[in-house]
Amino acid sequence: SISKKKKRSGHPSPPISFPAIPIKFSEKQQASHYLYVRAHGVRQGTKSTWPQKRTLFVLNVPPYCTEVSDRVRLHLKKTQKTPKISRTWWHTPGFQVAYVVFQKPSGVSAALALKGPLLVSTESHPVKSGIHKWISDYADSIPDPEALRVEVDTFMEAYDQKIAEEEAKAKEEEGVPDKEGWVKVTRRGRRPVLPRTEAASLRVLERERRKRARKELLNFYAWQHRESKMEHLAQLRKKFEEDKQRIELLRAQRKFRPY
Amino acid sequence: MMGPAPAGEQLCGAIGEPEVMEPALEGTGKEGKKASSRKRTLAEPPAKGLLQPVKLSRAELYKEPTNEELNHLRETEILFHSSLLRLQVEELLKEVRLSEKKKDRIDAFLREVNQRVVRVPSVPETEEILQDKDGLNQRYFRKRALYLAHLAHHLAQDPLFGSVCFSYTNGCHLKPSLLLRPRGKDERLVTVRLHPCPPPDFFRPCRLLPTKNNVRSAWYRGQSPAGDGSPEPPTPHYNTWVLQDTALESHLQLLSTMLGSAQGLKDGVALLKVWLRQRELDKGQGGFTGFLVSMLVVFLVSTHKIHTTMSGYQVLRSVLQFLATTDLTVNGISLCLSSDPSLPALADFHQAFSVVFLDSSGRLNLCADVTASTYHQGWSLLWLQVQYEARLSMTLLDSRADDGFQLLLMTPKPMIRAFDHVLHLHPLSRLQAACHRLKLWPELQDNGGDYVSAALGPLTTLLEQGLGTRLKLLAHSRPPVPEWGISQDPPKHKDSGSLTLGLLLRPEGLTSVLELGPEADQPEAAKFRQFWGFRSELRRFQDGAIREAVVWEAASMSQKRLIPHQVVTHLLALHTDIPETCVHYVGGPLDALIQGLKQTSSTGEEALAVAVCCYDDLSRLLWGLEGLPLTVSAVQGAHPVLRYTEVFPPTPVRPASSFYEPLQERSSLLPRLDKPCPAYVEPMTVVCHLEGSGQWPQDAEAVQRVRAAFQLRLAELLTQQHGLQCRATATHTDVLKDGFVFRIRVAYQREPQILKEVQSPEGMISLRDTPASLRLERDTRQLPLLTSALHGLQQQHPAFSGVARLAKRWVRAQLLGEDFTDESLDLVAAALFLHPEPFTPPSSPQVGFLRFLYLVSTFDWKNNPLIVNLNNELTVEEQVEIRSGFLAARTQLPVMVIVTPQDRKHSVWTQDGPSAQILQQLVVLAAEALPMLEKQLMDPQGPGDIRTVFRPPLDIYDVLIRLSPRHIPRHRQAVDSPAASFCRGLLSQPGPSSLMPVLGYDPPQLYLMQLREAFGDLALFFYDQHGGEVIGVLWKPTSFQPQPFKASSTKGRMVMSRGGELVMVPNVEAILEDFAVLGEGLVQTVEARSERWTV
Repeated sequence: SISKKKKRSGHPSPPISFPAIPIKFSEKQQASHYLYVRAHGVRQGTKSTWPQKRTLFVLNVPPYCTEVSDRVRLHLKKTQKTPKISRTWWHTPGFQVAYVVFQKPSGVSAALALKGPLLVSTESHPVKSGIHKWISDYADSIPDPEALRVEVDTFMEAYDQKIAEEEAKAKEEEGVPDKEGWVKVTRRGRRPVLPRTEAASLRVLERERRKRARKELLNFYAWQHRESKMEHLAQLRKKFEEDKQRIELLRAQRKFRPY
Repeated sequence: MMGPAPAGEQLCGAIGEPEVMEPALEGTGKEGKKASSRKRTLAEPPAKGLLQPVKLSRAELYKEPTNEELNHLRETEILFHSSLLRLQVEELLKEVRLSEKKKDRIDAFLREVNQRVVRVPSVPETEEILQDKDGLNQRYFRKRALYLAHLAHHLAQDPLFGSVCFSYTNGCHLKPSLLLRPRGKDERLVTVRLHPCPPPDFFRPCRLLPTKNNVRSAWYRGQSPAGDGSPEPPTPHYNTWVLQDTALESHLQLLSTMLGSAQGLKDGVALLKVWLRQRELDKGQGGFTGFLVSMLVVFLVSTHKIHTTMSGYQVLRSVLQFLATTDLTVNGISLCLSSDPSLPALADFHQAFSVVFLDSSGRLNLCADVTASTYHQGWSLLWLQVQYEARLSMTLLDSRADDGFQLLLMTPKPMIRAFDHVLHLHPLSRLQAACHRLKLWPELQDNGGDYVSAALGPLTTLLEQGLGTRLKLLAHSRPPVPEWGISQDPPKHKDSGSLTLGLLLRPEGLTSVLELGPEADQPEAAKFRQFWGFRSELRRFQDGAIREAVVWEAASMSQKRLIPHQVVTHLLALHTDIPETCVHYVGGPLDALIQGLKQTSSTGEEALAVAVCCYDDLSRLLWGLEGLPLTVSAVQGAHPVLRYTEVFPPTPVRPASSFYEPLQERSSLLPRLDKPCPAYVEPMTVVCHLEGSGQWPQDAEAVQRVRAAFQLRLAELLTQQHGLQCRATATHTDVLKDGFVFRIRVAYQREPQILKEVQSPEGMISLRDTPASLRLERDTRQLPLLTSALHGLQQQHPAFSGVARLAKRWVRAQLLGEDFTDESLDLVAAALFLHPEPFTPPSSPQVGFLRFLYLVSTFDWKNNPLIVNLNNELTVEEQVEIRSGFLAARTQLPVMVIVTPQDRKHSVWTQDGPSAQILQQLVVLAAEALPMLEKQLMDPQGPGDIRTVFRPPLDIYDVLIRLSPRHIPRHRQAVDSPAASFCRGLLSQPGPSSLMPVLGYDPPQLYLMQLREAFGDLALFFYDQHGGEVIGVLWKPTSFQPQPFKASSTKGRMVMSRGGELVMVPNVEAILEDFAVLGEGLVQTVEARSERWTV
């Protein structure tokens, strides 16, 4: 078909603002993905974590390419000194976005001029994929109990200290009126109050409602009788409408043919 | 041409286009807010097959009722259960009732037929043909057949008829009738059956009483009955067939006078006929016909049990009530009002027939054919089945279930789906020998040589006696005798296919391998020996008694379920000379799909029990653990193994150390690059609740750290006190015990609440669900509850495990397993046991699986929640409330909603899937698989390749990624299990290694996770986790639409120039290579099979 020919013949043309650099996993692959790159810049006034002018913004980084700066660096070796390595991810793993920070602005322009194709995995710098990667990931996932213990202890020490400080402060303020003369009532005081939660206030309301309901007489007055009958009728009508709708639907699906 | 080819194949389109189909479920809710769409939804109420909550204004709801309305409501309440039932019944009757137009066409055809028959040349008057003694020795029947042949010969030449052929009346081979169908477009509208009848008083009634003989032995067998001078055997069936012809006209007149004028009665008969037909009770020879049930209505009218003013529904109910409570085998009934002393007594009829229902002459038993044979008094398979069904139906009606109508009248109950096991006797000619062996001469004489009918009674009596407590109900089915052309020979008995028996089993009877006989010195011992033959042995029992007994070989539950097979083949061979090769028993062919490796004798229930037992031990250890700062308050299982629904049960792991890379400092084994993937070990999750205490912090971050500390402590203590290998992480502790690995998750009851707490600016603390709190609640509260409820269900219904596992095996084999949670499929299987109506709970995996397919393929998920009433906790009122709540919230709910007493609103197990398209795909596959599998199982020649319906269709996928079996750890679980696979590093005996085995390492799963992360928005991936060798890939057509360049959507795409514009399209060639790169070592080939993705 025509479209197919087009694809084969025409090299994909990048938008002017985003030059495309072909990238492949290794020499073995025939087709390339394309990194879309440009110098990182933000509108004036907005803050950015990445240094202006020295940062390369890279789109469409393939999933197996975990160190994009490494790849770029390898290809820039001839012209540049080692660029500073930094990167971040936008989305969940998969195709990613990278920021590559260079030491000098010239690094960015050199990168923008790259022709590629970049290779992710080379003989001198192999990248693990498939079984290799999974086995090493598995080995890395085996937990180290000691490290965990240290983390827990450190955190809890800091936490306990924080709590102790808060308690001390609360105790200090207990019963002491503030500038306007209000005394703060807390749960820790001598006469603790109900916690201010939604559930608690709902419970109180429900209790009140039940108390009132008990006092009411049901079906006592004639009008009450009439009303409850009417209510019953309304229920029947509602049910009838529902049923009719259900039947209409089943009829439309020819669900009443028994066989 | 731009964009992907339009989805030519319907299936592909259905899966790959989420955005296209989604509105079917969501459209009305979300868009309903806009004014324009509201107008539309009002204009067409059930928009796109979706029910909406009813909106009636206050004025409409509370207006004063008219008299007419009040009357209608009152009538509905009296005559029907509810308005819904009334509407449903009316709709059904509209479908089955003959329209006036058709009636006119049929009447016209009948008039034409009448004229033609009268004009047939040289037809002698009946008096000239029939002679005085024609009632004897089949003379009447032969003349009748000749007469019919003569008619056929002439009528066949008439251009009025499209077809003229013969068939048997109610399967009775002595009584052919002539079938006439009009030529042209009405050929399928009507079939006229010509029954020749003698003049009503031609035969003397007293000669046709059930005690009389009209087929002489000398004529039939060429000899007098055994021993000279003994009386001729009575021929009650033969006599009845003659009488039926003489009474035909009077019966028709009776029916039309009694029923013709009352619409309610006619409706009732129509409903009853539907009821009978859905249950296949009216099928084949000697069925419970529509005629019979009409006469029953006449009887009930004449005894004032039915009034002519009753509605059709009330008639149906009264007849079912009568059938359920009256035993016609004990107390026959009669339409005869005369007290003429010359009439025979009911008792005479009970002597000859088991089921007795006399017509108004008092001489003809309308139920004569319902009795298969005179061999065994008071025994009629069909009658038992009719009564059984009537009782089930009455229970159903009394339960006032919302879907009673559907279950009672709209759900078919074919034998293969109604009975736990079936067996086919084939070829039928074997029964001829059986008749001789059983000495059934009088029966053959009475049945005019029909050896199948003659043998049926004795045969089934034998089996019923032998199966004893294992059997709840036995039923038979014979395929109807086909019609034949007027120039062909009539079909022979042996040509009528096979005899099929259905066995409804009693689960509590299936546990024993023993038939206990009488004590050896008792006189009954000889009888027992005679009945069981060489299988009967003398045995000494623990109480010292020496008894006759039969012991069957069966070690596992699946073998015990198949003991009826052993019983049937043994008894048939012993008593009827029917060899094993002619008994095609269909009870366990599907078992093979859930049998573990090298375990062909078990379907895994035993292995699951071993794992559950080990879990029980572990939970005792946890309870008794010393040195934990807080006490254990509950230990709960939360894994499919612990509710008996894991498709392939775990086996104890005994790693061969040479196969692994040891990581000594962490006491763990690692997989090795140079070896095949090690055996897959999935830890079984156990939730361990610790008591609430002031020591727990009230801060989410801190709770996590305290829990981590507990996980570490648990590992230490279990190692110290019980020598178990443990490994702790921040969220769980893995424990190796007796070769099983458990994953203990410490839980703190208040943690979900802490995660939910939100403080308002005023300082009010309110609770709001968050994804994290919901997940935690699901994993630590709902999952253990579900696991324990289903564990309980298994104790009640031993077949549950097999059914749930077969169902999951099938869904996964269709490559759809990952879209359905384990729990959601378990609940669907549980529904088959908790809500079996109109059936009873399955007692075999086979029948349960068929019903699973039926449920999946027919359930209307859009408009109904599947309510699974675990432990029967939901009341009828609560269920009504759930249904109306469901309708109101439909658009916010998942496509598949499963409600349990613990989960009434959210349907937690289907929150994340399936999508509407995947569910639809499952429905389509189930609808295809069910008839195919049922046909296979009902094939008397044997089911053939039972795995056919388990093999997934692969032609729908755009790309197939083939995997190397070396790295598929569960390769042996494949539907077509490979004869040989790789060594997975296991020893058959416990080895010296005590290191933690490799856990949860499954390369295909890791690969799929990466594929979905990288290409999830371009394609869907399908895989069978049980040893699948292929991953199916479907491109999403919407993602293949060229898009303008956007920084956020470059993933895997490339920029192309299209008509001067720059657009982005998926870089398919590179992606296909990525598939291979990401799965290096695992992927064998990547086959792009369609050009649909070409842009």
